[in-house]
Amino acid sequence: MDKKTVRTIAHLSRLTFDEKNEEKITNDLNNIIKFVDQLNDAETSDIEPLTSPLEKVARTRPDNVTAENRKEAFLKNAPLSNEDYILVPRVVE
Amino acid sequence: MTWQTVIGLEIHVQLSTKSKLFSGASTGFGAEPNTHVDLVDMGLPGVLPVPNKDAFLKAIRFGLATNAEINQVSSFDRKNYFYPDLPKGYQITQMAMPIVGKGSIKIFANGEEKIINITRAHLEEDAGKSVHDLFEGETGIDLNRAGTPLLEIVSEPEIANAKEAVAYFKAIRQIVTFLDICDGVMAEGSMRCDVNVSMKKVDDSELGTRAEIKNINSFKFIERAIAFEIDRQTKILESGGSVAQETRLYDSVKNETRSMRSKEEANDYRYFPEPDLLPVVISDKELEEIRSSLPELPEQKEKRYINEVKLEASEARIIASSKTMANMFEEACLKTDDSSLVARWLVGEVSALLNKDNIEIDESNLTSNNFAVLIGRISDKTISGKIAKSVLEEIWESGDGVDAIIKDKGLVQIQDESLLESIAKKIVEDNPGQVNAYKGGKDRLFGFFVGQVMKETQGKANPQSVNEILKKLLK
Repeated sequence: MDKKTVRTIAHLSRLTFDEKNEEKITNDLNNIIKFVDQLNDAETSDIEPLTSPLEKVARTRPDNVTAENRKEAFLKNAPLSNEDYILVPRVVE
Repeated sequence: MTWQTVIGLEIHVQLSTKSKLFSGASTGFGAEPNTHVDLVDMGLPGVLPVPNKDAFLKAIRFGLATNAEINQVSSFDRKNYFYPDLPKGYQITQMAMPIVGKGSIKIFANGEEKIINITRAHLEEDAGKSVHDLFEGETGIDLNRAGTPLLEIVSEPEIANAKEAVAYFKAIRQIVTFLDICDGVMAEGSMRCDVNVSMKKVDDSELGTRAEIKNINSFKFIERAIAFEIDRQTKILESGGSVAQETRLYDSVKNETRSMRSKEEANDYRYFPEPDLLPVVISDKELEEIRSSLPELPEQKEKRYINEVKLEASEARIIASSKTMANMFEEACLKTDDSSLVARWLVGEVSALLNKDNIEIDESNLTSNNFAVLIGRISDKTISGKIAKSVLEEIWESGDGVDAIIKDKGLVQIQDESLLESIAKKIVEDNPGQVNAYKGGKDRLFGFFVGQVMKETQGKANPQSVNEILKKLLK
């Protein structure tokens, strides 16, 4: 992993870091990848991919409306809102 | 150089469940902003999604109706991106194991039938709504739609032109409304589509670079956006340039597509298996129950109308293509004997009024009862076709009963032959010039006499009787 990839991931994750830490973060991430890469040594060609370590299936629910209207509480929690909407800095296409 | 257009569609169908895909919040349209939101839709920490079984059953109905493979074990993945109307920072979707696999659908375009293959159909959650034009310098977020179940139906790139694309979209809309898994109301966003367009040389085996036009929600705009895109890409290729792989937006006011550069650089969704959800399993018994409960579909209806009801092929297609129209036809036919007259009126006068008002038949004042009575009054010659048309228009406005309208307006057809004869005689006597010309060989003048009798009787004369009487008088 190079510095350019680190910058891209940081952007996709909406994270910023000090430029002087860039070297250290890149090294750390490379070490993590090296560690996880050991898994590639395992022979897995005959094994079905595992979507979950729990060998169970999902509990589903019937199609009923059970939620209450919590509009007031939600809007109060938002950094900025008016009587109807959560407000964010303008997003323009 | 001859370029060949290659089009693929991704159609998002809002499934008509009462509650959301992973929460118990309502999916009802048009509520006050942010009132149909649950803790799960808000993406609060510590909450877990619980799948709505009904969304799976509805997706499977679609799969079975399009002869598709059904994956009885399906799982979810995270698609990561940041946008304010997606509170969790990821959309839960099905990437690796979609509920519905390969299928196909028949379309009718440019006078021909064609099979379009469907790659897959998967479940995912809808995002909320961003409102840009209400507030100065700010965007308002309404999360009522967040978490609404969508079935994303992905076609193979086998669509050759804009007409086929529209026909494919219509065929999908037909099927989902017949199956009762989506209300099909485009104006409320119940169906939206992304269109992938690319061009290649006729002999090339590989596809060209495609542009994706996002979020189109009307038949007309699909057609126009594709036409614009074909023109744009052809010009680029003809002048030796290359088409950029990008996401574009269709602007219906300017009738053009524009690059959405803002989304371009973030186009790396880093999918991974959703750790909050276990695979959902559908049993053989559940699958069989859905299979046996499937309704008659447009294609089957069309065949039955032609073979058993003996309708004209063109009429059968039009009636079978709309669920509300087919319902009206079948209900009216139960109450009257003349199915072909019911069909002719549905496809003719009734369709004309529907198009004029741009509504579905169940939104009009016409009930199957009233329609059957109207057809009956034409069959038993109480009223002529021309009068029936004005009665239909009256029903359209007021919803009043057929017999009441006929009685109130004195529209009953004049069957009294002697009365018609005396009226006809008077017209013949009053117009000696036309009589001579007619007898001298001007056959077309016959229509003039019929017209005069009709005028005199305010359209209430039985046209057949008038013809016979006039023929006798003018011999």
